[in-house]
Amino acid sequence: MSEEAVFSKDRTELECRDLGYAYSKLKVVFQNINLRTRENEFVAIVGPTGCGKSTLIRNLAYLTPPTTGHVFLNGSEVKRPSSRISLVHQSIATFPWMTALENVKLSLISKKLDPAEADRTAREMLQLVGLNGVEDYYPKEMSGGMRQKIAIARALAASPEILLLDEPFVHLDELTATSMRREIYNLVFNPETSLKSAVLVSHNLNEVIELSDRVYVMNGSPATLVDEINVNIPRPRSPRDPTFFDFVDRLYNELDMNLKQ
Amino acid sequence: MDILIIALATLATISRILGLIALSVLTGWGLAYLAVKSRRFENIYVPFVNVLESIPVIAFLPIVLLVFIQGLGGFWGVEIAADFLVFDAVSWNVWIGAYQAFKTVPEHLLEVSENYGFGFGRTMLKLYIPHSIPRVASNLFASFADAFFYITVSEVFIVGVKTYQTFGIGTLIANFVQESNFIGVYYSLGFIAIGVVAVTIVLNMFSRSAIAKYGVDSTHEIKHHGPMSRRFRGLDLFRVRSRYLSRYAARLAHPRHRGGFEGEVGAPTPVRHIIRVAMKSLIFCMGVGVFIYLIYSSILIAFAVPREQWNRYFASTPYLLYSMGADYVRVLVVTLAALGVALTFGYALATHRRASLILAPVVQAISAFPAPAYFPIIFITTFPLFSATLPKGFYTEIYVFILGFLSCFYYVFFDFWIGVQAIPTQFWEVMRNHELSFRTRMRRIIVPGTFPYLITGISSTINSAWAGIEIGEYWPNIDGTHSLEVRDGMMKYIGLNMANGQVGNAAWVSLLFAIVVAIYGIVFTRNLMDLARRKYVVEEGVYAA
Repeated sequence: MSEEAVFSKDRTELECRDLGYAYSKLKVVFQNINLRTRENEFVAIVGPTGCGKSTLIRNLAYLTPPTTGHVFLNGSEVKRPSSRISLVHQSIATFPWMTALENVKLSLISKKLDPAEADRTAREMLQLVGLNGVEDYYPKEMSGGMRQKIAIARALAASPEILLLDEPFVHLDELTATSMRREIYNLVFNPETSLKSAVLVSHNLNEVIELSDRVYVMNGSPATLVDEINVNIPRPRSPRDPTFFDFVDRLYNELDMNLKQ
Repeated sequence: MDILIIALATLATISRILGLIALSVLTGWGLAYLAVKSRRFENIYVPFVNVLESIPVIAFLPIVLLVFIQGLGGFWGVEIAADFLVFDAVSWNVWIGAYQAFKTVPEHLLEVSENYGFGFGRTMLKLYIPHSIPRVASNLFASFADAFFYITVSEVFIVGVKTYQTFGIGTLIANFVQESNFIGVYYSLGFIAIGVVAVTIVLNMFSRSAIAKYGVDSTHEIKHHGPMSRRFRGLDLFRVRSRYLSRYAARLAHPRHRGGFEGEVGAPTPVRHIIRVAMKSLIFCMGVGVFIYLIYSSILIAFAVPREQWNRYFASTPYLLYSMGADYVRVLVVTLAALGVALTFGYALATHRRASLILAPVVQAISAFPAPAYFPIIFITTFPLFSATLPKGFYTEIYVFILGFLSCFYYVFFDFWIGVQAIPTQFWEVMRNHELSFRTRMRRIIVPGTFPYLITGISSTINSAWAGIEIGEYWPNIDGTHSLEVRDGMMKYIGLNMANGQVGNAAWVSLLFAIVVAIYGIVFTRNLMDLARRKYVVEEGVYAA
């Protein structure tokens, strides 16, 4: 069966068509971006620093409206930010005056749940990310990894269909990042969550191959999508696997080649 | 009437104000450093600034007379006396703002500076001062407005029967009013408006640039210098090429260790240690000296007052406390109104850049117009309607409210306005991403996130409301035929007694007021600032390990 045939059976969750972003007419960051995610798919976007990956992910969430093009969620055009598409930041953003529980409950306010249910949902999400027992701690009393888990729990508590991850592990130490990478795939597609797919932006090529089903490669100036790679390695994946290494090498060459060009 | 003279006088006044604002910023940084380093100094400094901020400009006239006019005399005596009065109008909120900024430096950055053993100079230049720039910027708006608000009593003042004046637009307006030359007054107000709008545009650009460069991931873009301006870069005191944390990380991670021994990075040398101990001892001795002098002077004054007089003072105290209470209610109403305007209109301006480019100078111009020059016009136009439809006590309170509001609303307005702009972009994205309503944003994120700014703004608003209320509570012959006078009010009591030569009565109520303000300074300003440091440092919310 061809690859196109397989995709056509799956439902497209998030899609963007001819997306472009420019600070001015002369300062175009990227253009003609067409990408889509499908149900139960983990998609990654890679590219050199400054090519606009973080801006692109914000365009997908409509936190920064694109200059050109359109974003669709389940076929409906996205025209404003929505908690159905939830973003986890690169710089871990937790509110210092709120406890871990209050930080998570923040994303439930717009759902207008009754307080007991909001409390229960927030506790469940904290438990899901492994933070049970620290609900009443303030972020400054926690490590970077724990703070990022709060941010992820907050994003998941909003019952999003799409989770956007903007280099979520970049500020964590390697041990914590490795442990969180192991958890994240199962976490985002846990039946207890509403998630349908996730989009990851990362510089870490090992991380990208470990997590993704498909990788979009951005490059050039203005940046465009220069390649789309299906990572068809069975899970769980190991960096020691030669196939894993081949994929990393391919991505590296892709980026390096485009940089040289 | 010479338009050129009015233009030159406006320029002279603007230069005077900007120079004195610069002086208050420099002194504010030094005092704020002492306050955050010494709890003892902080306990004296915070109430002291609160008391001074609560004292209206004209209350400083006896000091002006004694120290500058009689001491120095001549042109310089008058000039420095006027400068002192303008300094009084611009400095206190800048000092409180610097203290508040120093108090809320993020813990991890303090630890880095301590870790590398930075001394006073390096800690100030690389940590405290850059961190305080957005908050100092927010206070420049209020200071500039306040200086103009009182310019007619700062540049020209009467001590005894003699009038002293220095060249400036305040003096010109006072002279025009005396000559009933209202055309001259209008032209002067027009020039003030032009000057204020021009300076506000510059301050607006500076504040945005300060937030972009020194705020944590604010929504404002950092403006980089083009190649053409490279040769001027050396003059730009505030240039930064990267964002706040990366900047500090880069600079703090590569300090030029001076005075430290190898293997003991940043360890103080014996000379530095001796200097530090000597400085501390000197400050302590000066503090003790001032304290003893104050106690000694107070005892002398207390014994000089006859026993019967003391009895009269004590007997009048319940009424005075009641009058003070009435004034505190007025101040509370004014502060709540100012806070309401800040939280709605200020928020709208902070989140709509184009609107703020036009409306911020308008707010600044309204704040800066000297009320004594234009308020009689408001009174004359509204009095027939008010007096025909409202009871006297009620419309008098409306006028007092208007004067109180105009004299202080801009403190909390501009502080909050800058505080909102300094909220990190990630927080805005979380708010939008989770579709938080205006009310939820305000309650959960904006108000807590701007808490230190709000404390500074509310503190200055409360302290400065007294001056406007003082003008409104007792204004004889405001339009030539009517007087503005409330039934009960501490400020009216002070004004009446000063006019009748009963200085002792005014001094007694001033002493009671000073005690209340000092307690308020400790209970409100210092304690809330402590709370802000523990919990509401917005910069600590964005974690980039």
